[in-house]
Amino acid sequence: MSSPKCESDAKGWRILIAGTGGQGALTAARVLCGVFVRRGHDVVSGQLHGMAQRGGSVQSSVLIDTGISPVIGAGQADCVLGFEPVETARALSLMSKNTTVYMNTCAVVPFVVGQQLALTRAGAGYPAVKDLIDCLKKVAQRVFSFDAMQRAFDAGSPKALNMVMLGCLLGSEALPCTADEFWTTTLKTMPSKLKQINTAAFFAGVEWAREVGNAAVEASGS
Amino acid sequence: MREEATFVSAAPTHEILQDSPGTRLCLLGNVAIARGALEAGVQFFSCYPGTPSSEVGDTFARIAEEAGVKFEYSVNEKIAVEVAFAACLTGARSMCSMKHLGLNYANDPISTMPYVGVEGGMVIVSAGDPSAITSPNEQDQRHFCKFLYYPVFDPGTPDDALRTTRYAFAFSEQTRLPVIIRPTTRVCHSSGMVTLGKLPGGRNEIHFDKDPSRYVPIPINARRMRKELTERFELASTLLRESDFYPRRGEGRHGIMASGVSYAYASQILDDLGLWDQVTLQQIGAYPIPESILRDFLGAVDSVLLVEELTPYMEDWVAEAASRAAQQVPLFGKRTGHFPMEFEYSPDLVEDAVRQYLGMTSRSSLSVDVPELPELPPRPPVLCPGCPHRAAYYLVRKVFGKNTTYCNDIGCYTLGYGEPLNVCDVLLCMGASITQASGIARMTGKRTVACLGDSTFFHSGLPALANALQARDDVTVIILDNFITAMTGFQPSLTSNRGDRGSAGRHGPSVSGISKMRFSIEGVVRGLGVQDIYSVDPYDEAAMTEALKQAKSAEGVNVLVCHSPCMVNERRLGHHQERVPLRINVDKCNGCSLCVRLLGCPGILVSGGHYMIDDELCVGCGLCANVCKHDAVEPIAVEKI
Ligand code: SF4
Ligand code: SF4
Repeated sequence: MSSPKCESDAKGWRILIAGTGGQGALTAARVLCGVFVRRGHDVVSGQLHGMAQRGGSVQSSVLIDTGISPVIGAGQADCVLGFEPVETARALSLMSKNTTVYMNTCAVVPFVVGQQLALTRAGAGYPAVKDLIDCLKKVAQRVFSFDAMQRAFDAGSPKALNMVMLGCLLGSEALPCTADEFWTTTLKTMPSKLKQINTAAFFAGVEWAREVGNAAVEASGS
Repeated sequence: MREEATFVSAAPTHEILQDSPGTRLCLLGNVAIARGALEAGVQFFSCYPGTPSSEVGDTFARIAEEAGVKFEYSVNEKIAVEVAFAACLTGARSMCSMKHLGLNYANDPISTMPYVGVEGGMVIVSAGDPSAITSPNEQDQRHFCKFLYYPVFDPGTPDDALRTTRYAFAFSEQTRLPVIIRPTTRVCHSSGMVTLGKLPGGRNEIHFDKDPSRYVPIPINARRMRKELTERFELASTLLRESDFYPRRGEGRHGIMASGVSYAYASQILDDLGLWDQVTLQQIGAYPIPESILRDFLGAVDSVLLVEELTPYMEDWVAEAASRAAQQVPLFGKRTGHFPMEFEYSPDLVEDAVRQYLGMTSRSSLSVDVPELPELPPRPPVLCPGCPHRAAYYLVRKVFGKNTTYCNDIGCYTLGYGEPLNVCDVLLCMGASITQASGIARMTGKRTVACLGDSTFFHSGLPALANALQARDDVTVIILDNFITAMTGFQPSLTSNRGDRGSAGRHGPSVSGISKMRFSIEGVVRGLGVQDIYSVDPYDEAAMTEALKQAKSAEGVNVLVCHSPCMVNERRLGHHQERVPLRINVDKCNGCSLCVRLLGCPGILVSGGHYMIDDELCVGCGLCANVCKHDAVEPIAVEKI
């Protein structure tokens, strides 16, 4: 299979999920943990988020068969699922050239940005997404960005964003679990309406990751 | 005496209730603690929620009935500890949990409990918050070991947490010492693999045998107890020596000693870098550290790197023990600048220190150049859209103005700090809004305002209010009653409507199976003797403004109770009414920015000079419509398609 792989210097897989509160990043991490624990892997997962309010930065790590530390060190992430551009950029220090990044380009502009500018107080504003991608590309070789939010909408709900992103991860075939297996163990048993939306969102992600993966392989001439 | 009782339920509703020894699960550290307590046959549990400890109590709230555990969300930590201690005097294995600061609040009973001693095992979980991520300070509860004779366990992983808790109860009974488990945020809020043990077939028998000389620490008894305490503490050390909380790995001459989550980091780094032939890693999972373990370790290595967060507690312990035993081993840690004195460690920080210690190339010389990122906008915590505290604060500020001193308290309402609400000039700890308002009003001769929530009011605001009353301070106390303890994850408070389970917090009633009562703050305040009491809905601008004006011009203590439910909790309970969708009419909005300047609601977006309402975030509370002088905020006419 000639798809991009999340390669790990050591054993196991280190996945970072970055987003903002309310985007479903924590749920995505939990689902991922559940799947791999059921498959018999050792999973460790850490969360970093501030206070209970929605809209803050959220980082969740899922480490599969790596050991006991719940925290991903500098440059150690095999894969970053960026639910939001600025939050993806915040995880830059965890990336290396071996990191595969899947990033949703749809921004969640912190309300303070708009409000601060309105009051002509200091504040940098929301950076251009393109500039962020350029920075990420200087560190990680495989940075794939797309409007994942649109896919979630197409699938039936913006809440399905996390499924699109998980679709990317499983579609990349970097993990020892196929997209179909993931679907069978998590989505198949959901109530029908939810199942339909989540399934559509998930496979939209899977398909997209396969496409860009193959394109990347061709481009590199292999 | 173990009383036989069926404890294992046939079809458990929570994964930690299953009796399947050997099963491996991936559990959150706090949930692993709950499981450990179940495996030890815990019979009583109390807590006051506080990040990062809350999930221990929330887990018990869910499973207590099924597991046959008496449970309560206590009114404060001191009460939680006292009730749990009394429960253990009847022979029950009892537990209570709180955050690091809660331990300080409970310090009065805590300081004498080791003298009296336990009957059934008693375990206090006090979760630490290095880097003060969700607290006003970071503190190191390990000092309670030497300070007040508490064995303190310091788990590094969820699995450690489970095994520690399971062990701690019997250990507490043997030594008759209550014990503290001190997990930190990274242990509490990380999930990791644990191996389940057996659930017990029985529980301790419950009986209270009168024996005043045993239970009453009046001086004559206290002095006897003090002597016993020394012996019991020595016994603790002896028992710990035989425990498995001091694993040692590797065979190198470079010693590393680590405690808490730092152990997980250190062990992972040695794995990843393959350094086990150079290093011997000693975990310190509990204090007091048995002397023989230290002597052994110091004899097996040429030097030691000490890896621990917060204070050089372990480091100083080792230094002291080494000098007593005349063991000349160089020690490296916080005192030598190998580690910072403050804040939590990261794996990177630990790796740097390990590399330095072993004379390896530094990580920074290996890493690639990180490109300069554009400035990333922050996402500071703010009051939620539609939070009733915002409505209250806006009017409080409007009436009391910018020259009044606002004393705030611990909870979501602390977010009244800074622009644009600016109702937090001083803050200290739970309940201190009222006392600080007293002190400042009495000295400046100017009326001050204290703001605190329902849960905090009952926690420690009540005696503070009595105190303000007896001094007749010119203080206006604003109690923001949102019927829930919101900040820590929606635990019921005394004003939650627990009669109807559906409207309680998501964790069910606060005292298992008993309390259906909803407390009246006004009733309590009136009972204390406050004359001026105003019950208001913060969204009722006219009534609220009138009450505030009266309170401002009156003398002495007056109390405004603002009742309005936490929007987020209403949503999660499915109680919120269908909202009226609002929009900002661009033709009427002249960009005066008043709504933003006064409210700072995240539901209002500003882009390219245009003001808009974010349909996703806005809950339709209508506050911005009240503020807008141009009537620009209006309902969207919903057209039928
Ligand atoms: S959680 Fe509730 S009380 Fe806290 S800020 Fe949000 S709406 Fe307000
Ligand atoms: S109505 Fe206005 S103040 Fe209330 S939540 Fe919506 S945007 Fe915020």
